[in-house]
Amino acid sequence: MCNFYYLLATLLYFIHHGNSQKADNCFPSEFLESLSMSVKITKAGFHRDLQYSVQWGKVDHDVKALLVQKLPSGVYMDEYQLETLKQDTGLEVLLDSKVDLEAPEYLSSGFTALVFLSGKHEATVPVHGRYHRPSNSSQKRVTVDIESPRLLLRSDQCETLRARVHHAVTDAPCTVRNHSFCSWLEIRDLKDTGAVSLEIPVGDSSMILSVCVGTVLTAALSCFYLLRSIWKHGTF
Amino acid sequence: MDVRVCGMFSAAVLIRLVLLLFGVYQDQNLQLKYTDVDYHVFTDASRFITQGESPYSRSTFRYTPLLALILTPNVLLTAHFGKLLFVACDLLSGLLVLRLLALRGASHSTACVCCGLWLLNPLPIGVSTRGNAESLLAVLVLSTLLCLESRRRTSAAILFGLSVHMKIYPVTYALPIALSLAEAPSRKRGLIQNLIRCFSKDLLLFAAVSGSVFLALNVTFYCIYGWDFLHETYLYHVTRRDIRHNFSPYFYLLYLTAERSWSGSLALVCFLPQLLLLLLSSLAFRSDLPFCCFLHTAIFVSFNKVCTSQYFLWYLCLLPVVLPRLTLSLRRGFGLLLLWFVGQALWLSPAYYLEFEGWNSFALIWMAGLLFLLINSLILGQIICHYRPVEAQQKKTD
Repeated sequence: MCNFYYLLATLLYFIHHGNSQKADNCFPSEFLESLSMSVKITKAGFHRDLQYSVQWGKVDHDVKALLVQKLPSGVYMDEYQLETLKQDTGLEVLLDSKVDLEAPEYLSSGFTALVFLSGKHEATVPVHGRYHRPSNSSQKRVTVDIESPRLLLRSDQCETLRARVHHAVTDAPCTVRNHSFCSWLEIRDLKDTGAVSLEIPVGDSSMILSVCVGTVLTAALSCFYLLRSIWKHGTF
Repeated sequence: MDVRVCGMFSAAVLIRLVLLLFGVYQDQNLQLKYTDVDYHVFTDASRFITQGESPYSRSTFRYTPLLALILTPNVLLTAHFGKLLFVACDLLSGLLVLRLLALRGASHSTACVCCGLWLLNPLPIGVSTRGNAESLLAVLVLSTLLCLESRRRTSAAILFGLSVHMKIYPVTYALPIALSLAEAPSRKRGLIQNLIRCFSKDLLLFAAVSGSVFLALNVTFYCIYGWDFLHETYLYHVTRRDIRHNFSPYFYLLYLTAERSWSGSLALVCFLPQLLLLLLSSLAFRSDLPFCCFLHTAIFVSFNKVCTSQYFLWYLCLLPVVLPRLTLSLRRGFGLLLLWFVGQALWLSPAYYLEFEGWNSFALIWMAGLLFLLINSLILGQIICHYRPVEAQQKKTD
């Protein structure tokens, strides 16, 4: 009986070791060390582009990359624009919630964008700034920080992924169509790619009195001028 | 129809077709698209309707479901159906302007020139070829006025009810229309009797027919789409306080006071100039409906809390009808037109730098907005001073 259990244990050990070998071959250490990611923000004003690029060394099987980008309430992405870009350029971005296209920053919440990279492992995603609360100091712009995205990898050749010291296994949609979930390996020890930030101009609250007075006076003046013209030339 | 009119319409059709084709090319090949975002909003809403869902599932669709229904061939036939429809409405508006001018006694050559100013005007051409639905409203408003001029009051009432259902701004025409249909007060009768007599048979019939059309459409769509329909089609436009930059003189004021508790009362105060001017102009020019409606819409747009360039078309379609009776010299007219464009350019420059370069040009945009209001008021004042209204016909009194 003891011999039987001993044999079973040895068999199970080899099966498990065999599997983990397969998983290690899926993403070998040399491959993981060759990984690098860069994020850049381009253009100016309220309409920007987030340029993502993920690079790695040679690997003998197809690796899919997914960037999980958390975005603050200060910016938004237009799901309809993303849909058009998907048809035109093949950009694959999935938003985790319905994003209001018109609300100001103080009435909105953050959201997460899932950027599926394929082919060249690069993507340019348009992002738009929201109107922020006017500032009562002399601050003319407000800075919106966008944190570094999380990098997730998977491969169709590997079915099981093993968590490592610096990497975790997590579930995420397999493709942008969001029909099913797959296991992805999250790469955590990437060299700091640096968060990006953008500056959005804001109104000046200290001008509120002059704006009120100026606007009301101009409207009153125009109104009075027109009332006078109508009174003079109308037929009553 | 003579050669000149045929030639003008042919040129109008040709220009629009060329731009439509160019738009298709630009959308497919360049990053900057020719088609307006609104057109895609209409098409998406129509797609939802073909799938049996509510068109309001498409965010920023703030129109009547009737529009999405009309544009279902965008999904079922070709994506360009809507643009072809808007261009056809544009041309139909030109025809209606011609008929209206003829009815008002303008000479044939004057009518041709004024009609040409609409048909060959780059603004309506650009707007309809880019897929905006403003020409639909222009057709409805112009046909309402044409029916009223030719005394086809029931048709006018139906068209008026439909116009107000499609977009809320023609509701301001209700007062001048009512005043023009009401009986003139007589010194021989007392005040109460005069007030009762005001509600003539024509007026009551008009109110009943247009009210029924409006209610029937609204009740039908409310039963199908519920509160979403009422909110997106009407309430949003009435309570809308867009704090993002636009031509309105109130834009910066509303942005800075957005979170203050007294912003509601401020919005009401800003409504006063519109109200006063609309009331007085209705009384003053009720004998000349097209001019009164033109003035109404121009005042409404200039003093509105939100103003985009699409709104200009609402009163531009009535300008050709008003032009023959305008005694402005050509030089002064062109001067005022140039001033109008300068006012827009002075707003567009800081707005561009704010949106696309990130400059903090809010104060400049605010001042440009105020200047644009002053310019618009000056132009309207000049038009009022140099206009010869149609004389009111003496109504039969007892």
